[in-house]
Amino acid sequence: MADPHQLFDDTSATAPGRGYAAQQSPPVGYPAQGSFLAEPMSSFAMTYGSTLASHGKEIVDKNIDRFIPVTKLKYYFAVDTVYVGKKLGLLLFPFMHQDWQVRYQQDTPVAPRFDINAPDLYIPVMAFITYILVAGLALGTQNRFSPDILGLQASSALAWLIVEVLAILLSLYLVTVNTDLTTIDLVAFSGYKYVGMIVGIVSGLLFGKTGYYLLLSWCCLSIFVFMIRTLRLKILSEAAAEGVLVRGAKNQLRMYLTMAIAALQPLFMYWLTYHLVR
Amino acid sequence: MSGFDNFNTDFYQTSYSIDDQTHSYDYSGGGEPYNKQYSGYDYSQQSGFVPPEMMQQQQPYTGQIYQPTQTYTPTTAQSFYGSNFEDEPPLLEELGINFDHIWQKTLTVLHPLKVADGSIMNETDLAGPMVFCLAFGATLLLVGKIQFGYVYGISAIGCLGMFCLLNLMSMTGVSFGCVASVLGYCLLPMILLSSFAVIFSLQGMMGIILTAGIIGWCSFSASKIFISALAMEGQQLLVAYPCALLYGVFALISVF
Repeated sequence: MADPHQLFDDTSATAPGRGYAAQQSPPVGYPAQGSFLAEPMSSFAMTYGSTLASHGKEIVDKNIDRFIPVTKLKYYFAVDTVYVGKKLGLLLFPFMHQDWQVRYQQDTPVAPRFDINAPDLYIPVMAFITYILVAGLALGTQNRFSPDILGLQASSALAWLIVEVLAILLSLYLVTVNTDLTTIDLVAFSGYKYVGMIVGIVSGLLFGKTGYYLLLSWCCLSIFVFMIRTLRLKILSEAAAEGVLVRGAKNQLRMYLTMAIAALQPLFMYWLTYHLVR
Repeated sequence: MSGFDNFNTDFYQTSYSIDDQTHSYDYSGGGEPYNKQYSGYDYSQQSGFVPPEMMQQQQPYTGQIYQPTQTYTPTTAQSFYGSNFEDEPPLLEELGINFDHIWQKTLTVLHPLKVADGSIMNETDLAGPMVFCLAFGATLLLVGKIQFGYVYGISAIGCLGMFCLLNLMSMTGVSFGCVASVLGYCLLPMILLSSFAVIFSLQGMMGIILTAGIIGWCSFSASKIFISALAMEGQQLLVAYPCALLYGVFALISVF
């Protein structure tokens, strides 16, 4: 073998075959040149390194489920174009829709693809990202744009979303409501208002302040009605949800809670958009 | 091939630097991410040639098409090439750059109305997308915008976002390399847009229409390839929308 400190044979001046002839026909993993790599320890170390890496990858794959419930999330993304179209129409005009109950299939709710009343996460996520981009566009047309403003808008909107979801969770806990609303459901419902916000901002860009106020109030009204009708079925007791007047402090409290949650939406919609339209 | 020093002095991770090659290719600039992708390749020099899975051309490409594997096999790729100089495979084969496939994928992008074949994305190839990103940055440079960092940053974040979204939306999962490869290839029309920006400004009405058209073209072909590769039905518009958002950000960089 060559000098072990030299990493490769110098074949610059000689025939190419010189340094190679000493090696046998190499199986995978053994170089023709490079004495240090031909030692058995090196190949062992290499395979050890590769097993370490694949082991690490396995650990990540196993534990990712603990922090992010991937299969549960997949339910919320099982959407198709028809559903998204109908849902957007429902968000902007919920007044004609009659049946707001989510269909169940043996204890599990049906995927959003098959039931328009089921909440999904595709629309909120896309609406959030679109809101950030439209905000950047709005600021750009007023010459107030810089790339870090986008990050600022994004983080402030996200922070308000988290605050809202936490507040709703807290109030649901305090009122001791027995409901099957999960956190992801609440995130989805809170995310639906971004659709209205985008409509408001775009109309503000196109038609000025009057357009902004007109369309924003329309969207506020529709999201208010949408939230009340959706949450009524989830938070109130069965009888009250069907319209029968059920007296009692509990139901009244729940009714107030529903209305408060629904009223929070227009508030946030105005708060997060008014500074974008001048 | 004398200074063919492609064995790793860097022991634990392949840092096969294409720049060291005595041959200079245009792809050498795209060294780093390509190396990481490269390390997943599984070679077997001794046992014949792995027949390529996509054989769509008339002239058969009898070289080895290296399929990227999930298992991590470092350094086996570079560390051997036969005992004789004549036994070494051609450089492009070893690098895994297959011009035929690159050209085919480019054609698929350029004909948005042609139905895509689902199998073309079986091999993730980051050489083409790297070239396209560089070309995009270069055309931006011609207008005086030195924004390579933004281009790379946005493409990284966008690829990550699309990767998460597609994994959640599709039945079968998708690998990150596949997403990056598709999105990179569909960046090609955006290069046309930014080269237009060199000639005349895009801020008029004509520019807006052109920008909208090109964004639509990019996202339509990207969603078409994703749909056919992942067998998702009824979701093409849903996949096209986030692609349109991503390419819209690129267009924003070109226009403003």
